[in-house]
Parts: sequence; C-alpha cells; structure tokens
Amino acid sequence: MTLLLILLFIALLLLGMPIFAVILLAAISGFLFLEIDLTAIGIELYRLVDMPLLVSLPLFTFAGYILSESNASQRLLSLTRSLFGWAPDGLAIIVIFACAVFTAFTGASGVTILALGALLYPALLKEGYKDKFSLGLVTTSGSLGLLLPPSIPLIIYGIIMQQMNIGTHYDFDEIFLAGLIPALLMMVLIALYVFWDNRHITVPRHDFSFNDLKKSIRSSAWDLPLPFIVFAGIFSGKLAVSEVAAITALYVLITEVFIYRDIKIKQLPDIAAEAMTMIGGILLILAAAMAFTNFLIDAELPDSLFNWMKQHIDSKLTFLLLLNIFLLIIGAVLDIFSALVIIVPLILPIAISYGINPLHLGVIFLANMQIGYITPPVGMNLFIASFRFKCSIIELYHASLPFLLVYLLSVLIITYVPSLSLFLID
Amino acid sequence: MTSFKNLSIKLQQLENFLLFLLVMSMLGLSVTQIFLRNLFDYGIVWAETSTRMLVFLTTMIASMVAARSIQHIRIDLVERYGSESIKKLIPSLIHLLTALLCLFLVYSSSQFLMFEFEDGTEAFAGIPNWVFITMMPVSFAVMALRYLLHAINQFLQVNEPG
Repeated sequence: MTLLLILLFIALLLLGMPIFAVILLAAISGFLFLEIDLTAIGIELYRLVDMPLLVSLPLFTFAGYILSESNASQRLLSLTRSLFGWAPDGLAIIVIFACAVFTAFTGASGVTILALGALLYPALLKEGYKDKFSLGLVTTSGSLGLLLPPSIPLIIYGIIMQQMNIGTHYDFDEIFLAGLIPALLMMVLIALYVFWDNRHITVPRHDFSFNDLKKSIRSSAWDLPLPFIVFAGIFSGKLAVSEVAAITALYVLITEVFIYRDIKIKQLPDIAAEAMTMIGGILLILAAAMAFTNFLIDAELPDSLFNWMKQHIDSKLTFLLLLNIFLLIIGAVLDIFSALVIIVPLILPIAISYGINPLHLGVIFLANMQIGYITPPVGMNLFIASFRFKCSIIELYHASLPFLLVYLLSVLIITYVPSLSLFLID
Repeated sequence: MTSFKNLSIKLQQLENFLLFLLVMSMLGLSVTQIFLRNLFDYGIVWAETSTRMLVFLTTMIASMVAARSIQHIRIDLVERYGSESIKKLIPSLIHLLTALLCLFLVYSSSQFLMFEFEDGTEAFAGIPNWVFITMMPVSFAVMALRYLLHAINQFLQVNEPG
C-alpha cells in the first residue's frame, strides 16, 4: 500500500504536477495514515513564520533580479576583459570568472546564460574557439558560483540546517566559508581543461592596457563595492544574513535605478513581482516540505532509514559514494530548490551519524546539484541554453559532456577531501 | 467578455503591485532596524516578527500569481517529450487534480483560521494572527480557480478539431 502510494506520487511528479502540490498530497495521506486531523496541514504551512532569517531570501532575490535586468553584466564583462584579456585563453577565463560572480549574485536561476552567455558565446567564436567548445563552456559555466556567497541555494541549505536539531549550531559565515575553496577548485579545474583542450589552437592575445582598465573600473565604480559589502557584512559577524540581504538590496536599488539609471522606477513593480513570484513558489515548497518532514518524523521514517543504512553500509566511504550517486540522480530530475527542501532534512541526520560534517554535506549537496543543471532529462540550463543559442538539446549535451566530466571529477575531490570545505573554519 | 478581461487585468496589476509593496516594506523595515540598532542603539520590538509576516504574505500572494501562468515549479517532462495528444490531455487532468488539492487547502486553512479567530492570539503590535492567516484560504481559493480554468482551457484545446 505504502509502496503503491509512493509510486503514485512519483508518477504525479513526473507527469508535471506542481511540486508543492505533490508534497502536500503526500503529507495529507501521511496525516490520514497517522489519524491526525487535517486542519493540521494549514497549521503546518503557517509554521513558515517561525523560521528566522527567511527574509534574506526575498531580499537577495530582489537584488539579483534588479542586477540581471540592469547593464551590470556588460560592465562586469568589460571589467574582467581588461583584467584578464591579456592572458592566454583570456576570454575563456573571463567566462568562468564572470559567470561565477554573476550566478552567485543572481540566485542561480539560469539567468547567467541569458544575461552573460548571449554576450560571451559570439565573442568566443570570434576569438577563434571551436563552436562545440564555446557552447559547452557557456552552458556549463551558468551554474558555477552556486557555492559562492550570497547564492540563494547556499542560504536555503543554511536555513534548513539551522532549523533542524543537529546538536551543533553553525553560523552563516561558516556555511559561506565552507563553499569558497570548493568553488575555487571547480573554477581552476575547468580553467585547466580549457588550456588543455585549446592547446593546438592559437587564440589572439590582447595587450594589457592600463587605460582600458582604468576606464572599465570607472564605469563599474558603483558595482564594484557590492561583493565587498556582501563579504564584509557576512564575515564581520556584526550583521545577520537577513540584514546583509537588506543592505545589498538597498544598495543595488540605489545604484541601478538612481545612479546608473539602467532601470526606470516604472519597471520596478514588474521586476519585484517577477522576483517574488519565483521566490514565493520556492517558499511554498519549503512550507509544504516542512509539513511533510514532520509527518516523516512522526512516522519514524528517518529512524528506520537510518537503521537500514547502518545495517547495510558500514563505511563512511561507501556512504559517500552512494550519496553522490543518489544526489546525481536527484539533481537530474528535481530542481535544486525542491531537492534542498525535500532531501536535506532526510539525509542530514544520517550523514552526521557517519561522521560527516554538516557544512561539508552542504557543499557536497550543492556541488552535485550543480551537475544536475546540465544533465538530461530536466537539466534547466540545457533548456535555457537551447532556447538562447537556438540549438538542440542533444547538441548541447554533447558540447557540455567534457565539462560535465570535469565537474564530476571536482565533485569527487570535494566529497573525499573534506578539509577543502572545512579548513577555513576552525 | 471585455469587461471580464479588463477586470482580470486590473486584478493582475493589483497582485503585482501588492508584491512590490511587500518587498519594499520588508526592505524598509529591515534597513530602518539596522540603522536604529547601530546608530541609536534602539530597535523596533516587532520588526523581526513583522518581516516574517510579510514574507508569509508574499509567499501566499506569489503562489496565486504563479498559478496565473502555471509558473509553480514542476517537472515538465510530458510537455517536452510527450506525444501531441498526451501533451494536451495529461496536463488538463493534472491541473484539475491540483485545483482539487487547492480546494482542500481552502477547507483546511479556513478551519485553522476559525480556531485562530476564536483564540485571538497576537502576532505583533496588537495585530492578531488571524489577520495574516486570512490570506491562506483566499490565496488557495484563487489558485483553485486558476488551475480549474487552466484545466478547462487545456481540455477544450484537446477537443478542438485539427
């Protein structure tokens, strides 16, 4: 019976029922099973108001949407160009760096490919890079930066972790610190692959020009403080992450609307509505998932899962390997946000019992999900890139494959070398 | 028909504007609180609770808006890979099912609203909880209606000749 129900829910999910609806259906049948009054569903959903720091999500999302609607992407591009354009494979390095920064700030929703990819893909071709390489690089770089502050998935992981009773309390600055080195590792490995893949191609190098650099620094003078504001805010320990979000949103609003005037005041209500619709949908899933998790805990499912795992898997290494496979599959079918709110509450206690640090688990989780962005059948960035660059999914998948393998390698390194995630934290 | 269309456009604008107002209030409250705390060592006691309530209202209104154009996150394999007839029929059924679920949520949250109304627990600054909870049945009702309309639209398309 239970198995039938589970299959039914999976079928509904695959047939396109909204994810919040499937989770709530599962929670409702669970409550019926435990003979809990169904009014409880409403009460459970309202528990969203008990979560602290939640306001950081709409505010960071608002800031991200304003940034992606403004010309900040062009300014970032011309700045990185004057910084790295002289280096061998300079433009390819620019793609990696600019995409990572842009993704971190705009909430990892595929907008990087739309805003930056459209500029970078033709530029790569013009420099003489092969079509397949350029397409793959631009498509896969769209999810770099997931592990850099202030990426929304990273914050959601932090909020879920703080919400759960795991014994130790972790601060947000620690979560952000944990992601830094792994994110850098991914960027470096991709850069190495770029050098290797283009070793037979001569790409023109541009002379470094101090004047150009000065010019692009001047033109992005108001954007430049942004990363410093976020980093200083988070790592000073003086501000809560929700307060950093408020300051970021205020700063972006002032600079893009009143100083650069990229965005007219008239446009703001629509941008806000679009941003809130996106994050509101995620918050509804979060609320639904909390109701569902409560049922699971009442039904002692985590305990039985835990006991079963302990019987069959005795080493930490095997557990990690299975975790990677599991997360790759999840990442291929579920979007990152739904995966976070549904899966993390289930696996976090189990992972802790295998001696895995919760911060490390967060990094492993997001690194795996990053690959999910570019794996069929539902890799979101494949579809966005296919729409943007007018080519087939198959073509994109072939182009992305080598980069995907590099990501896979970095995920393995990140998983089996925990100190990469933990050594910045004492 | 035109007046109905006009009304629905007006409603959409109202929803969008409410979301804008909500995000600006969250921003305003949070920034004011930071300034008060750091410059004057003073804080609004209910600032934290009220921003949470604003996030809650945002979630409920955004959910309505997302139902407007089927934006709720879902796995859209059928639309991408399904055959023509499946592409039309299955979504219609799924929308109908979602509408029914939303109707159930109207019921469940109205019950909850009634408890809270009788109870009268305060959320913050003298405002009772039920004021915010009222948004739940309203939002789920609108979502139910919208998904029902999507289901009907989709179904009619199936039966269209050619």
